[in-house]
Amino acid sequence: MNFKVTLTYLSGLFLASMLLISCSDDSTTGTDIPEEPDAENTIVVSDNITEDTVWEDGNIYILGGRISVEAGATLEIEPGVIIKGEAGTGSNATALLVARDATILADGSPTQPIIFTSVADEITPEDVDAGNFGSPNLDPDINGLWGGVIVLGNAPISASNEGTDITEIQIEGIPSSDPSGLYGGNDASDSSGSISYISIRHGGANIGEGNEINGLTLGGVGTGTSISNIEIVANQDDGVEFFGGTVNVSNVLVWNSGDDSIDSDQAWAGTLNNAVIVSPAGSAFELDGPEGNYTSTGHTIQDVTIYMQGNGSELMIDVDANTDVNMSNLFFFGLGTNEGAAAHVISSDYVDYAANTNGYSITNIEAVIPDGLSVEDYFTGGLDAEVTVVGDVANATVGADVSVFGFTWANLSGALSDIGL
Amino acid sequence: MKMIKQLLPIMVLALSFSVNAVAQKGTLRGTIIDDETAEPIFGATIYIQSEGTGTTSDFDGKFKLQLDPGEYTLRISYISYQTIEVEDVEIEEGEVTNLGNIRLNPAITELDGVVVTSSRVTISEAAIMTAKMNSPNVIDGISAEAFSKIGVSDAAEALKNVTGVSVEGGKYVYVRGLGDRYTQTMLNSVEIPSLDPDRNSLQIDIFPTNLINNMVITKTAVAEMPANFTGGIVDIETIDFPEEPIYDFSISFDYNPDMHFNSDFLTYDGSSTDFLGFDSGTRELPAGASDGNIPTPISGNSSQEVYDFVNGFNPTLGPSASTNFANYSASFTLGNQYNVFDDNKLGYIMSLTYKSSSNHYSNYQLGEYQNQPDPSAYDLIYATRQNGTLSEQSVLLGGLTGIAFKTDNSKYKLTAMHLQNGESTAGNFFIDNSQDAPGQSGYTADSYNLEYGQRSITNFMLNGVNYFDNTNWEVNWRSAVTLSSMTNPDIRKTAYTLSLTGANPRFNAGAGGFPSRIWRYMDEVNYANRLDITREYDLFDLPASLKFGGSFVYKERDYEVLSYNLQFFGSQPTFTGDPSEILVEENLYGGGGNIYYQSGNQIPNPNAYNSNVSSYAAYISNEFNPFEKLKVYVGLRAEQFTQRHTGRDALYAQGGSGNNLDNEKVLDALDLFPSANLSYEIGDDQNLRFAYSRTIARPSFKELSFAQILDPVSDRIFNGGLFAIGDWDGNLTETYVNNIDLRWEKYLGLNEMLSASLFYKSFQDPIELVRIQVQQTSSEFQPRNVGNGEVYGAEFEIRKSLNFISESIRHFGLSTNVTLVRSLIDMTEQEYVARKNGEKDGQNVDDTRDMAGQAPYIINAGFTYDNPDNGLDAGFYYNVKGETLTAVGGGLFPDVYSQPYHSLNFSLNKTFGEDGNSTISLNATNILDDAREELYKGFNTADQIFSSYNEHRSFSIGYKYSF
Repeated sequence: MNFKVTLTYLSGLFLASMLLISCSDDSTTGTDIPEEPDAENTIVVSDNITEDTVWEDGNIYILGGRISVEAGATLEIEPGVIIKGEAGTGSNATALLVARDATILADGSPTQPIIFTSVADEITPEDVDAGNFGSPNLDPDINGLWGGVIVLGNAPISASNEGTDITEIQIEGIPSSDPSGLYGGNDASDSSGSISYISIRHGGANIGEGNEINGLTLGGVGTGTSISNIEIVANQDDGVEFFGGTVNVSNVLVWNSGDDSIDSDQAWAGTLNNAVIVSPAGSAFELDGPEGNYTSTGHTIQDVTIYMQGNGSELMIDVDANTDVNMSNLFFFGLGTNEGAAAHVISSDYVDYAANTNGYSITNIEAVIPDGLSVEDYFTGGLDAEVTVVGDVANATVGADVSVFGFTWANLSGALSDIGL
Repeated sequence: MKMIKQLLPIMVLALSFSVNAVAQKGTLRGTIIDDETAEPIFGATIYIQSEGTGTTSDFDGKFKLQLDPGEYTLRISYISYQTIEVEDVEIEEGEVTNLGNIRLNPAITELDGVVVTSSRVTISEAAIMTAKMNSPNVIDGISAEAFSKIGVSDAAEALKNVTGVSVEGGKYVYVRGLGDRYTQTMLNSVEIPSLDPDRNSLQIDIFPTNLINNMVITKTAVAEMPANFTGGIVDIETIDFPEEPIYDFSISFDYNPDMHFNSDFLTYDGSSTDFLGFDSGTRELPAGASDGNIPTPISGNSSQEVYDFVNGFNPTLGPSASTNFANYSASFTLGNQYNVFDDNKLGYIMSLTYKSSSNHYSNYQLGEYQNQPDPSAYDLIYATRQNGTLSEQSVLLGGLTGIAFKTDNSKYKLTAMHLQNGESTAGNFFIDNSQDAPGQSGYTADSYNLEYGQRSITNFMLNGVNYFDNTNWEVNWRSAVTLSSMTNPDIRKTAYTLSLTGANPRFNAGAGGFPSRIWRYMDEVNYANRLDITREYDLFDLPASLKFGGSFVYKERDYEVLSYNLQFFGSQPTFTGDPSEILVEENLYGGGGNIYYQSGNQIPNPNAYNSNVSSYAAYISNEFNPFEKLKVYVGLRAEQFTQRHTGRDALYAQGGSGNNLDNEKVLDALDLFPSANLSYEIGDDQNLRFAYSRTIARPSFKELSFAQILDPVSDRIFNGGLFAIGDWDGNLTETYVNNIDLRWEKYLGLNEMLSASLFYKSFQDPIELVRIQVQQTSSEFQPRNVGNGEVYGAEFEIRKSLNFISESIRHFGLSTNVTLVRSLIDMTEQEYVARKNGEKDGQNVDDTRDMAGQAPYIINAGFTYDNPDNGLDAGFYYNVKGETLTAVGGGLFPDVYSQPYHSLNFSLNKTFGEDGNSTISLNATNILDDAREELYKGFNTADQIFSSYNEHRSFSIGYKYSF
């Protein structure tokens, strides 16, 4: 009953809520009272993982707090496993953290993804077996119910706390009394393990002012780590945030991020290839460069389709003067139509970025421009020269290969097809 | 409130009782003291020749005579002292004439008596000065009389004028510029706890001056004092036995043109008892909020239960503007003494005080600045800047009552005191976060802050002094219970993150954060017992005294922080940026919207602890004169100190294998503290002193813990010292300090002196709050033993009447004291490496720096006029403390220094009316209109603001009437 009220309310407010209704029609049983978890296959994890551990298919693992896989240990998560974080904010927030020199092997499959969600989510291993990867009771815009997944490694970062031998700092959201929160090092080919076919939902709990947990945080993660086919849904902060490191990531979908969808800092030197961004509340891309004297070869973001949330999002691309990114083959649609110059623009620092002497550039953009507005209204600072206007989604020739996202909740709920993807 | 209600009838009763007690005759009182030592003289004869009557002084040197109205001459004599005659002593019907201290000079030969007139007998400041001169150790102090002269209403203000004392933020007393950690506060010679979880010393602005008799600052250690101080012990002595009937009423108004009657004053609906200094319950934690599982949309509760729970929170999240009033205060003191059971004396004192003040800062600025990594980029760049309006409304209510009973050879005193302070703060700030700073995402936000701080102290003390063998044995015992509490109920922070694109503001976890509210509680109970036994005897044919005794102190503190975050179960509604539009019916979960509160508290709570201390001490000391001119005071103190802690870290709290302490010993040590004070008389009026002592500074309750505390006020994260972080091993130890003092002093006359001191202190393993370098997104600190430190300094004091220039300006006086200090601390490896890595071109980073909190200089000066003949005194008073390192930086974080605050105040008091019953006082504060600033200091670049606000000038008028 409550759900209906929520929907009525939302529909009056957001263009994007049309999307919510359509995707939720088949999913709801009410959000009030989660069913008692089946004790048989529910395992509460409240201590750090210090030795090799396997989380087995058919089970639900409850994160009872901030659980670290400590250095030297390997956590293997089998396909189809569901991990649920208990509720809380601040020091009470739950998260899974893979420390430097620890290993995570979380490889799901298109038919058996690994799902990280909240304890409030009633999804069961049986649902996953039946191909119902979406939440039976939580809307895809409910965020902040738990923390997120943090992977840390030994690859170089550019932070201002430069040491004589190694640059390492503490990841945001984790107090320094927890040594598992350190990241950064000299090993560009470091491996933190392998992650694929995972979906992380309803997280992003606030830790303190401006201090929160992203859906997937990658701090100093090296090229030896394999990360692909990732979905982040309704994270209160950023979807995926890279803090330095060298890791390459492909096939990422970020839906309803509470802040930015893709965020980079500290001279990340990897590639993000093939991504879909749907309805960010913050900016689609918040991209920064080095913070210390160390610089890298920069990062590359290519083949991305971005659906801006009408008038509910911030910038399409937020770069500043020292952002070290090359972007290409980007397709933007669903742009906002706010009055004035401030509607869904590229950050004003784009001009400074474009003047960089390292050859970084943003090229080959396609966009659907709302009626009555022009490319220049959106793509300022000279970026309009890179933009080709297309009539609608079907006409786009650049952007993501959406077919790889069949395992995602966004796809199964119809949210992608609703916007023409 | 309850206490006041109970007190009122007693007050009325006492008042009527004392009125009845007034007799036909007049009463004469006085105290006979040794002019050299200021010690009371027992058994002196007070004789009135004209009447043929007389009396003798008691062990406190006090005497009392009932006389018919008229004028008398007293003759005061005591064996081996010069006899003194006091003329023109006027006795009025039903009145008490108090002669105050009458000084007798030890006579080498029998001389003729000295004649003085009664109006010249004493000034209590001079008594403090004599005490200072004759004390075997270095002390300074200020008496009740001086308070009215310099026109101050609380203890903190009063102490500003004492040599080597500086008062931080109008609240915290630092002695010789040493930080808070090295200053100790005592009330009636027993320790009292701080009301701030982050401080060692008490906020002494909560003591109104009309409850204080005097404050003595001990700067060199003696065996009978606790060993845990280095800079000084501030001992506040409350008023006791009145010499004459007191019925004083005073009232004052303080007007600040920049702050008062301001229509932009920010406030919010508090409780109906805010005006009495406490919250009646409107800010209380909602029912069920401290439970492990609070009602949320995902807790299993019904939507009605969630709705009811959210409704339990006060819906006001932002301030509203209204016009404030000027500061005002009123106080009432009464007291008297009677003869009961033959010649025993019973006295009582009762005092009530009320003070209301409001501060309004229209341009309050806060900043977080960082160094740039590029060695050639010198400028500091900001991570976050905040500026806006901050308004504070503060109420202080104090009551003290005491009775004292005195027999021929004993004295008993029972006092009860309660201080209640409530401060309501409302602010509105614009937050500007820069994405150019490392670790920052860049945003702007409008923030609204509502806070309430409630502090109280309740103290009961029973003190007895018994004399045996004709005062050759003195047994002084005291037992005190102090209950103190500090509560911050319902601190509300609401920050709308502004859109980059001109869209509506919203709450953003990665930017301005979600609305939060916090409750912080601290309660402490302190039992202090102390026994001092003094034996007067002769050694080398000169008077000596042997002192021994001990103390037992038990204190226990409970601390807890509970926090809640506002959350949306789904998308946020459209906001306009008004904090009053959030917690409205249609937005609440179960009320049509999706707002609920999520708990930030684990059960058990890692943000809470309980600690206790048992401290046993025993000492022995001897004061003697090896020869006539040399006074030696040596002693040895032993302290057995045991600190226990109950607390846990977050990993344990979540059920993991983290750290948990269950009343475990975190400190257990027996230490010996020797002290020696030597005083050599040069002529009659000069002393040369030398002092050595070993003292200690122990880690505080929360420092010896696994606590991880997010302070809601500063937004800083505190990590207990027991955590091993980076190269810190988690082994936090006490700091041992060796103190050496050398002082020369010359007494020029009544209330006139010159002195010069040198001091040196060496610190073994000093504790500082260290910023954790690896954490860049938030401000994290940990107490750690840093490298050894040294402090050396010099102090100069002059107090002089200008009568040496011309007798016509004899009422003008000058008093100045200057303290200069150099401090050095060896950096830890972590800090040195961080600073070295952040070294700028042309900069040469050293591995030593100033000690945190140590001021390089303190200057206090006064230019006064004091004429007892016409009842007028006036003065200009100036204080300043040099630039002081307040937050240690390194690497990304620049150091923060508090800036000199040039405080120039003027005060004028005029006594008038029949019998001088009325006093009017005028004061001007902060005449120079100086701002209070703390600045980031980088290398070769402009300073940037850490905090800045201006209290502006204020003017006050007060009136006091004595019945």
